[in-house]
Amino acid sequence: MACRGGAGDGHPASATLFRVSPGSLYTCRTRTHNICMVSDFFYPNMGGVESHIYQLSQCLIERGHKVIIVTHAYGNRKGIRYLTNGLKVYYLPLKVMYNQSTATTLFHSLPLLRYIFVRERVTVIHSHSSFSAMAHDALFHAKTMGLQTVFTDHSLFGFADVSSVLTNKLLTVSLCDTNHIICVSYTSKENTVLRAALNPEIVSVIPNAVDPTDFTPDPFRRHDSITIVVVSRLVYRKGIDLLSGIIPELCQKYPDLNFIIGGEGPKRIILEEVRERYQLHDRVRLLGALEHKDVRNVLVQGHIFLNTSLTEAFCMAIVEAASCGLQVVSTRVGGIPEVLPENLIILCEPSVKSLCEGLEKAIFQLKSGTLPAPENIHNIVKTFYTWRNVAERTEKVYDRVSVEAVLPMDKRLDRLISHCGPVTGYIFALLAVFNFLFLIFLRWMTPDSVIDVAIDATGPQGAWTNNYSHSKRGSENNEISKTR
Amino acid sequence: MCAQPVTNTKEVKWQKVLYERQPFPDNYVDRRFLEELRKNIHARKYQYWAVVFESSVVIQQLCSVCVFVVIWWYMDEGLLAPHWLFGTGLASSLIGYVLFDLIDGGEGRKKSGQTRWADLKSALVFITFTYGFSPVLKTLTESVSTDTIYAMSVFMLLGHLIFFDYGANAAIVSSTLSLNMAIFASVCLASRLPRSLHAFIMVTFAIQIFALWPMLQKKLKACTPRSYVGVTLLFAFSALGGLLSISAVGAILFALLLMSVSCLCPFYLIRLQLFKENIHGPWDEAEIKEDLSRFLS
Repeated sequence: MACRGGAGDGHPASATLFRVSPGSLYTCRTRTHNICMVSDFFYPNMGGVESHIYQLSQCLIERGHKVIIVTHAYGNRKGIRYLTNGLKVYYLPLKVMYNQSTATTLFHSLPLLRYIFVRERVTVIHSHSSFSAMAHDALFHAKTMGLQTVFTDHSLFGFADVSSVLTNKLLTVSLCDTNHIICVSYTSKENTVLRAALNPEIVSVIPNAVDPTDFTPDPFRRHDSITIVVVSRLVYRKGIDLLSGIIPELCQKYPDLNFIIGGEGPKRIILEEVRERYQLHDRVRLLGALEHKDVRNVLVQGHIFLNTSLTEAFCMAIVEAASCGLQVVSTRVGGIPEVLPENLIILCEPSVKSLCEGLEKAIFQLKSGTLPAPENIHNIVKTFYTWRNVAERTEKVYDRVSVEAVLPMDKRLDRLISHCGPVTGYIFALLAVFNFLFLIFLRWMTPDSVIDVAIDATGPQGAWTNNYSHSKRGSENNEISKTR
Repeated sequence: MCAQPVTNTKEVKWQKVLYERQPFPDNYVDRRFLEELRKNIHARKYQYWAVVFESSVVIQQLCSVCVFVVIWWYMDEGLLAPHWLFGTGLASSLIGYVLFDLIDGGEGRKKSGQTRWADLKSALVFITFTYGFSPVLKTLTESVSTDTIYAMSVFMLLGHLIFFDYGANAAIVSSTLSLNMAIFASVCLASRLPRSLHAFIMVTFAIQIFALWPMLQKKLKACTPRSYVGVTLLFAFSALGGLLSISAVGAILFALLLMSVSCLCPFYLIRLQLFKENIHGPWDEAEIKEDLSRFLS
């Protein structure tokens, strides 16, 4: 079921839902949460984290929670914005340093974030992405303020080089006193547990989801000749170098084979060189950057989807492609083997030879007609990952976290010192103390009681739609929860 | 893989898959958790004597610096006649030049395509220019205080040791920078010598010991490791002897430094290797092992 769409889309959707066998899965949910999603990455920036935050927030709003999003200003877009269903987004005026991530001093963002947390009466801080400095800042401040914290890690990281040693140390500091951590795949969980030296019990695995209604097959738009589709950013980590070896190899072997490549990036040049060198202009189409809404229209033109990533926590692209009915060929890296069942994916080693073999197998199956029909693949895949399921499982994390105690200051210092090593531990314990003193100073400057309480757009007393009175809305929430 | 015989046994086995709803909580930790974790798969096992042998490159360079400073001191004190140093330097350079070709049977020369005539030309050009400019070198740093010159030389020689190409594949290595620093130090020190002939011979000697000698060493090490060990030992003892004639304390300290670099450091390396914990697993970024440039050539 789609959670996105125009304003008011969510309500008809839920209305259709609770006609379906009420009471089949009775879950008694009594409490709602005031959730604040924090990340440097949000729309208008495009990517996996951004759409994850948006879709999850929409589904949580649908389940009756109050959700706000905090990110940094994107160019002209600053201040407060409301998205579909009253999803409130704060674009804070913080300086962007590198790759859309803000600079961190651990202190400068406290006045702003504290003001937002107080005026929105936030109870759970949910930070996203380990690359986002703002997410870590928010976790740090939230713990100082005694709020519950949840963190979602979207990426994998190695252990070998100096940069990863440093970032892993910072992650250890950031997560050692966080209440709960969410990872998008089991491999990602193993990685995060090792990187941040965590107790695996406080790490949940909740996969990403794909909106299956956005990715439907369309067999009539397929090309007659066999077409391989690649949709990814054209960067080293996506294995574009491998692709530049696969294209000439297979094009020489199969004269009726075509490639469609969507995406943009620094590695585009080598694909253009390959196209030039082997005179493949009519068979290899480079589409450049694609908007998310156009991806489906590109996918349905092909028969086989190729993913050459060198590392991947949870590959959304292969689920989207499978949902469009394509046969997926992918490298066996990171969390990819967990994502699709063996009959829907051909896994290869990350080498030109192995990927060519996998593609040839797929081409052979296609020619011999042993591949299942796109419609059948779609019907299987659409049951796998839905945002509603993600929201439901995330809600369980919030429920669990909300009854846990936040570490008081002395315990937090102990934890930092005992958990993060002698040097880092003491440094960050000192910073935590400064942070706490700064908070006391801010509370003295503007006491919590002076800060205006914002009107809820979403949540049990949401003002976004006036159609429902408070009690009516509450009963509707119960109805929704009954259906799941 | 979906067809697990659930009916036979009551317990459902956990699978490492995301597409199936499994009857376990999201934070469930299975016994198979981290089973694909591998440790130290790329760690190298070091042999003590092999590491000691490799450390000789560092010893050689330390000794080169030591010998250079000792020779300079003798010149400065007037104990060593410049003609004598020039003669010895020329003779040893000629011997080294012949050895350089003899060791690998002239293969390196064939590969690089460098003719003897070109060698002679560059040597002549260098000697002429240095000789011509040596009066300038002599007066170049007259306005700078001697203490500054000494401090600068110390830093430059240290920099030479730090940036020297010992064969490690690191970002800090830069043989050009290293050589430039050494020559700069030699120019600084040469300018404090009594006459311009001294300065000329000092700079020539610096080129011989910092530029030509390491090239010969590299070849010696690759082709005849045994004689290389012998040369290193000889060189180290002569450097120590030279230093001893100036300062006994300095010689003892230098000897301790050499001992610790060649014996203690390899020992520590091997001991610390036991504590190495390099983690690998399915989350590692895959490496492209093939040479993909063939598709573009």
